[in-house]
Amino acid sequence: MILALWLLAAFALPLFPMGWLFNRVLASLPVGWPQALAVLLIPQLGVAALRATHEGWDLPSQWAFYGALWVLLSALFYAFRALSARELGIWTRLLASSGLALTWLDWGSGATWPATEVFVLSWSLPAALLLLLAGALTRRLGGAYLGLQGGLVAVLPRLTASLTMCALALLATPLFPGFFALLRAFDRLPLAFVPLLMPLPLLWGWAAGRFFQDLLFGAYRGEPVTDLGRGPALLIGIALAAFLFVSLLGSGVGL
Amino acid sequence: MSLTLGERLTVRSMVYVASEPIPRFWPMRTFIHHNPLYGLEDRPFAEAVVQGAHLFHARGYLSRAQYQAYRAQGKVADGELRGRITAFLAARTERLPSLDLEAWLWELLTSCCHERLIQSGDWISGAAVRAELHGGALAVPAEDLDGRLGMILGERFPKDLPVYRHVDLLFGTELGATLDDLLSKSCLDFFDEGQSAWQAPGREAGFFAAWKEVARRNVRFLLRGLHLRQLLAEEDTPEGTIAHVLRLLEVPEAVWQDYITHELTRMHGWAGFIRYRSSAKHYYWARRYPADLVDFLAVRMTLGLALIQESHRHHRTPLSGGELATLLQEQPRTAYLRYELYGGTILPAWAQRAEDALVRGRPHAIAELAAAYVPNKICAENAGQAKRLRLLAQAVGPQAEAGLMDLSAEEMDGLLAILRDWEHGEGQAWLQAMEAHYIDELVTKVRIPASEERPSKRPFAQALFCIDVRSEPMRRRLEEFGDYQTYGIAGFFGVPLGYLEYGKGSETHLCPAIQTPKNLVLEIPASLELAEEPLYGALQHVLHELKGSVLSPFVAVEAIGLLFSLGLVGKTVAPLSYHRWHDRLHGDKGVTRLLLDKLSPEQADSVIRAVQRAMIVRALARELPDMVRDQATDDEVRELREIALGHQHGRSALAQRRHMSPEAEAEFIGKLRDIYLVNRAQTSLQMERLGRLGFSVEEQVRYVLQALLSIGLDRNFSRFVLLVGHESRTENNPYESALDCGACGGGKGLPNARALANMANKPEVRRKLRERGIVIPEDTWFLPAIHNTTTDAIELHDLDLLPARHLLYLERLRNGLSAATRHCAAQRMPQLGAPARIADDPVAGAVMARRQAHDWSQVRPEWGLSRNVYAIVGRRVLTEGVDLQGRAFLQSYDYRLDPKGRLLENILTGPLVVGEWINLEHYFSVVDTESYGSGSKVYHNVAGRFAVMTGNQSDLRTGLPTQTVLKDGQPYHEPVRLIALVEAPLAFAQRTVGRIGKVKALIGGGWVRLIVLDPEDDYRAHVFEDGSFHVHPGSGRAAARLSEPHSVVEGAS
Repeated sequence: MILALWLLAAFALPLFPMGWLFNRVLASLPVGWPQALAVLLIPQLGVAALRATHEGWDLPSQWAFYGALWVLLSALFYAFRALSARELGIWTRLLASSGLALTWLDWGSGATWPATEVFVLSWSLPAALLLLLAGALTRRLGGAYLGLQGGLVAVLPRLTASLTMCALALLATPLFPGFFALLRAFDRLPLAFVPLLMPLPLLWGWAAGRFFQDLLFGAYRGEPVTDLGRGPALLIGIALAAFLFVSLLGSGVGL
Repeated sequence: MSLTLGERLTVRSMVYVASEPIPRFWPMRTFIHHNPLYGLEDRPFAEAVVQGAHLFHARGYLSRAQYQAYRAQGKVADGELRGRITAFLAARTERLPSLDLEAWLWELLTSCCHERLIQSGDWISGAAVRAELHGGALAVPAEDLDGRLGMILGERFPKDLPVYRHVDLLFGTELGATLDDLLSKSCLDFFDEGQSAWQAPGREAGFFAAWKEVARRNVRFLLRGLHLRQLLAEEDTPEGTIAHVLRLLEVPEAVWQDYITHELTRMHGWAGFIRYRSSAKHYYWARRYPADLVDFLAVRMTLGLALIQESHRHHRTPLSGGELATLLQEQPRTAYLRYELYGGTILPAWAQRAEDALVRGRPHAIAELAAAYVPNKICAENAGQAKRLRLLAQAVGPQAEAGLMDLSAEEMDGLLAILRDWEHGEGQAWLQAMEAHYIDELVTKVRIPASEERPSKRPFAQALFCIDVRSEPMRRRLEEFGDYQTYGIAGFFGVPLGYLEYGKGSETHLCPAIQTPKNLVLEIPASLELAEEPLYGALQHVLHELKGSVLSPFVAVEAIGLLFSLGLVGKTVAPLSYHRWHDRLHGDKGVTRLLLDKLSPEQADSVIRAVQRAMIVRALARELPDMVRDQATDDEVRELREIALGHQHGRSALAQRRHMSPEAEAEFIGKLRDIYLVNRAQTSLQMERLGRLGFSVEEQVRYVLQALLSIGLDRNFSRFVLLVGHESRTENNPYESALDCGACGGGKGLPNARALANMANKPEVRRKLRERGIVIPEDTWFLPAIHNTTTDAIELHDLDLLPARHLLYLERLRNGLSAATRHCAAQRMPQLGAPARIADDPVAGAVMARRQAHDWSQVRPEWGLSRNVYAIVGRRVLTEGVDLQGRAFLQSYDYRLDPKGRLLENILTGPLVVGEWINLEHYFSVVDTESYGSGSKVYHNVAGRFAVMTGNQSDLRTGLPTQTVLKDGQPYHEPVRLIALVEAPLAFAQRTVGRIGKVKALIGGGWVRLIVLDPEDDYRAHVFEDGSFHVHPGSGRAAARLSEPHSVVEGAS
């Protein structure tokens, strides 16, 4: 039973190689709401599985060391994979996998359960929004493969702005919860892990650079398209603002 | 394998021919406005635009939406547009009786929101579009698929395009971009003109030779995996290297010429600069570090080949054109899918699947995917096309849609062909319709004199301004404020000169870029005291040296870094006060004179002696530390000179007196010869150069006479004749010289004004002018001045030479100029973002203009020549009092003083061509801000002190920045070709134009629009269009009286 719970957690808080399954499950769902809901719920399932094991990181010390190493390498691997992804859904899933894998470190360092849940939400909420927006982009352009049409900001300003903000939230940009979560991980990890943790934001930043390059620059030469409505854009804005508020509040109370 | 001389010459001539379409790019210190399609000016404008688009990947016209916006503002002549449609359809052979094609094309022009209605798909056909319109779809039989794909790929991958470009399109590699980066870096290293602290070694040997030496050991290339050693070892000469690389790439010899053209035009900024440099004999850096396009191409092709080889090793991409052709032939489905994906034309829904399939590389799966993809692609392209046609038909009217549905497949093909061809030439139709609007406007604005009498009243002052569009408002203001008579003349005042400014080390050509001056003018200080560098200047020099040094920042930042912040804060917070303070500290160069008269051989010899003597005195002070300046007598210095020149042998008296050893004396004499250049060879060279110095009296008379006659000023001279050159003074602006005088080759016009004034004030010149019928009164004084177009201030020069009796009138003159300055500046400021009310507050306007000039964060200190549209060659009476909004080049000309048409010839070959270059530079910078223009200034960095790049590494950015031609993202400069109006009898003008091949080609090819206003034909305007002259219906005295009686000037002031 315990082993099943561990496996479930490794799938839902993607650890290599179970992250492959996590990504396959998400990819198999229809684009849009189903994927968004799945990326919100599955990691919570992982947290629940961890809680059910009733075990913290109280493994033998060398196991803990290798476990943390595995977690970091998993996160680095998915971040590295995201560099070559141009399909928005795949890009989002890989970066979410990279961030969510770090939940293991948070849990291992003895964080409280509410803190761990917020940690998971730090990645899964912006990922859910991005997957929703990927659906919106697919409906407009026929696909969410970036780089084929440059300069989307000129024709889809609201959709592009929403994508940009959600991507920044997903990539642990300062003031978003991911940033504080990452800081906490830095703080709790032994110094020996820092060289492994440091490349992570670099890879995320690199992935973001490619993403923004494909999304914002260039000239749009396709058919005229309708932008995201004001209402949905406003809702996403409110969600992100609330997310920021919780983030600032949470960082103050030590979540 | 070495090439024979003949083969080398063949390669060299190929490069020469291939480079013809690339416009020369002058260093930005003297920015030359030029036509980016200058190399294609032998063709008609429309044809050249198409060719330019092909070569430079640029567009030649605005978008349809932008033209529609102009039409909404009433700036497009609808009649002209309809006429173009009618003429286009009349020339077509297709017959589509069920469609009103005129209505279709009109609707397409005026209401279609697409950039192009007819898409550029590979699969669009009349039959398929028709099938889509009727709800079906047309499939390609599977057995034909490979054949069709082969045809498509054959068109997409021509053999004359660079191999790396094809590899990029098929494999998503970025060889082209990487190659551009590496080449930019290599060029920056070699062509640097003093910006870098550490210079590249061995530059004297030439670009290719120097690069080759460095490339063999270049760690950056090694780290990239580029194996250059072997490549470079196989050929010595650049021509041999080019041929060798082309053979390795298996490029057929028949297409070498076109292949080379594509390679060179890929970075046309660098290529244009090198092309200019290799042809500029006077250019110091070119003489010192020679380079030409053969070198450039050899470096580019070597790097390109190395990148292709590196890509082949890592990604198994084709190694040559031959391998590429095999891939296209044997695996058309894979190649097509690759092209769709990496070329960015794939349907987005299929992109990820295609990428996955290509990464896995299973041929069978790829072939299956391609077979499944193509029907979807066909469907998408034709459905999109059908939808657009249907929408257009609905906009035309209900019958049009029914007509569209009734078309057969062949008729549908015909409709598509008509629409495609129309869209191909639509930009030209819009352009001509816009120009028709401006021609109408000009014809109605021009004032027709009621009398041909010439005014006899003597004005208070006459002012000759440059033809530059920015002079027009100033002239108008000046004429409003007082008894001023103004004239327009090319800003070099017809005096082409090479100018060596005091304190500068190299000569500047102050004349249109198409001329090469024969005469050199020196500026020399009038002060007889020995020049002592002002303290502030010396301090600035030291700081500059410190900044340039590699090591000093480590030690100097803490010590003196704060000093720099003073300037930083001052320039930012209080630019005007800082500038005043800076000027006070800096000190000016004082009173100077121009060495304008030709020297006799004796005088030249005397000058050289004086210079050499000064050098020897300086050498004594520097090389013999214990020597006090006054210790050497004149005789001793003379003796040293004779010994250095080899005229005298033995020991010098000075050496004996100072007990110098023979070795020390020989060493000192050696230094005199080698370092201080007191030697025979240098003496003959200097004698030769001094031969260029100054103008003979005859030349001076000729220049003055020509300048006065060309503007129609042959009598009634006033007390002051101002010769107003112009310049622009701005801060932190690499484009500053673009705002200077185009007729002075991007330089400042003051030296030419001073030179002509100096000539015209000479009694001897005036005496000879009198003999030729030009009587300049004794109390007339030619006074040079400079118009700063950023602040509109006019500063008088050489006032120390002004006769005492003129001083009485000086204040009145200055007051008039100041008033015009303030009002001009105030009128201009609202266009630069100031509130509209400032137009009524001249003092505030003038202050704001000064602030603009000194604000180092200002990206748009003035609009410069933006919005230029007209060139008017004629008497001022045609435009006096007419508000031309600073959009016209005004060249004064009176055909009655030019019976043979020689003066008009000069105007057409000089000022008109300069105007055309300026106009087309602006035109193309607007229609394609990235390829012909230089993009946003915000991202620019100065490269090598001669150009700008975008970011830290790019092609040199030619053309004008968006801040010069756009406002709020929309064109501020309205892109139309220069409309030149010449006041002269039609037959006379035709004869004159016919004598000048270049101008005839420009007008015939439509690079300039010509209107001849014929005073002997009731002032009717004859517009040249489509190969012949047509009378403008709204022109002539009769039309003017009917439509607007006041446009006939009574009394012709």
